[in-house]
Amino acid sequence: MNTNKRETLAAYSFLAPALILLGTFLVIPALMAIYYAFTDYYLLTPDQRQFVGLQNFIEIFKDPIFIQSLKNIVLFVAFVIPIQVGAALGLALLINKPRKGNIFFKVAYFSPVVLSLVVISVLWLYLLNPSEGLINSLLANIGIEAQPFLSSPKQAMLTIVFVSAWQGAGYQMLIFLAGLQNIPSTVYEAGKIDGVNKWQNFFYITLPLLKPTSVLIMITTLISAFKLIIQPMVMTQGGPMNSTMTPVYYIYQSGFSDRMIGYSSAMTVIFGIIIGIVTLLQSRLTKEDDI
Amino acid sequence: MNKKLKKSIEYFFLILLACIFIFPLLWMIVSSMKPEAEIYLDMGSVQSLLPSLDVSQWFLTYKELFSRFDIPQYVINSIIYAVTITVGSIVVNAMAGFAFAKFEFRGKKLLFGVLLVLLIVPVETIIITQFTVAHTLGILNTRLAVVLPMIGNMFFIYLFSNFFKAVPDEIIESVKLDGANNWIVFWKIVLPMSKPAVATVGILSFIASWNDYLWPLMVLTDTDKFPLQVAITNINTTQPVYTNQVMAILTISTIPLIIVYILAQKYILQGLGGSGTGIK
Repeated sequence: MNTNKRETLAAYSFLAPALILLGTFLVIPALMAIYYAFTDYYLLTPDQRQFVGLQNFIEIFKDPIFIQSLKNIVLFVAFVIPIQVGAALGLALLINKPRKGNIFFKVAYFSPVVLSLVVISVLWLYLLNPSEGLINSLLANIGIEAQPFLSSPKQAMLTIVFVSAWQGAGYQMLIFLAGLQNIPSTVYEAGKIDGVNKWQNFFYITLPLLKPTSVLIMITTLISAFKLIIQPMVMTQGGPMNSTMTPVYYIYQSGFSDRMIGYSSAMTVIFGIIIGIVTLLQSRLTKEDDI
Repeated sequence: MNKKLKKSIEYFFLILLACIFIFPLLWMIVSSMKPEAEIYLDMGSVQSLLPSLDVSQWFLTYKELFSRFDIPQYVINSIIYAVTITVGSIVVNAMAGFAFAKFEFRGKKLLFGVLLVLLIVPVETIIITQFTVAHTLGILNTRLAVVLPMIGNMFFIYLFSNFFKAVPDEIIESVKLDGANNWIVFWKIVLPMSKPAVATVGILSFIASWNDYLWPLMVLTDTDKFPLQVAITNINTTQPVYTNQVMAILTISTIPLIIVYILAQKYILQGLGGSGTGIK
């Protein structure tokens, strides 16, 4: 055996476990989803599976719940990105100034991050209970009338936006903080000599130098926000009136609860392509910005 | 004077913000430490953020919860899943990263390209066909089904590979001259020299697997195999539902994470780009 062949063999023996696992639980399911998308596969009658061409795709775009779920996720993303990222940046700027007790504030703002999505969903379900929850009791203390929150089609998604931002902001605050501390103090000193004021300092020095950090944070938030499922699943089951139904949740429901594998797979393909495109566009954007 | 006032206002805002971030967590813990009736009696007052005034009540909820549900079993399940996935993903992904970092082999570029493409595949959208694969393999309702899909991870392979590239080839060559094979080089040289990567991957996969909900919910039917996250929603829907007991199970499932975050502070940030944003 020549050395080249031997090295290839050795390399593949090290790669084998990862390749087998990724192949079985990622590549094969992804390919299966693409194949099933063109069939009428119903979980209970796998033998009667038939090729139906584009039938599923045609039906999906006539499915009001799927259309609604796309609108819902766009709404969620449009609100959660500015709120969560904005809050994270604001908190980082507040914390960045040296002062007594900063470590306490840092830990406090970060604390929701340690809770799992299931825990925050169940916890806020109780806090937001319209008739006997803590939030409405607190609002009553300051004279605001009780809000329906999750039981109102108008408020439910925005409530989930708030809960998600509350949970995630602390983590991104730390990333912003790292970005802020990477800005050399000499830059600010130079600004001082030029006589810039506080606002100019922020808009012309801090913000531009934070751009790579901000873009990175926005992309990762965007991509994970698109895949929202746990919060609506635990808090609202997609209701009221499908106002919190999301694409991934609908894929889960039609594939797992309704057992329509074919139909669900077609949605996987469509939504997978959407997320894939967004990821690619965004990663190209960061590459240009980094250099 | 003006400066002092400004400072006071600043602190007022910082504290107000801290309250917004902390009070849900606080309410969760203190509500698990009082009788059910007190929770609703206290609601909205200062006492709603304090445990029961009667200290003997503090752990009664936990006693009741443990008598209704097999909590130690859920805790053990969660630990088994999280530890297996953590160890598994360190070993499996590090091995693959080692191959990419230190070997020249046929198909390397293609394979690495495929892995990078796989990074884009949104795993959450293929849960249904992942489920049919588990069904075909006949592993539904087993612990194996919970663990196996969580181990292979492209991001971790990438991270390990980048780290291993920094291990000097000279060291590897000299050890090989002493008669060590690749397997020994991997375990005795490369892995020990990459402790930060091991720690990062270990912590990220521990947190991700401890928090995993959807997949175990789908593949498990026996309650005695449930991890804590699934047990939470099970307890929250098993009549009669007591608020204080639900808050107790939320608290129990959070404690290990608090410990992990405290111990692993410096590695948490490196997870960006992998699994670690607020919305998971």
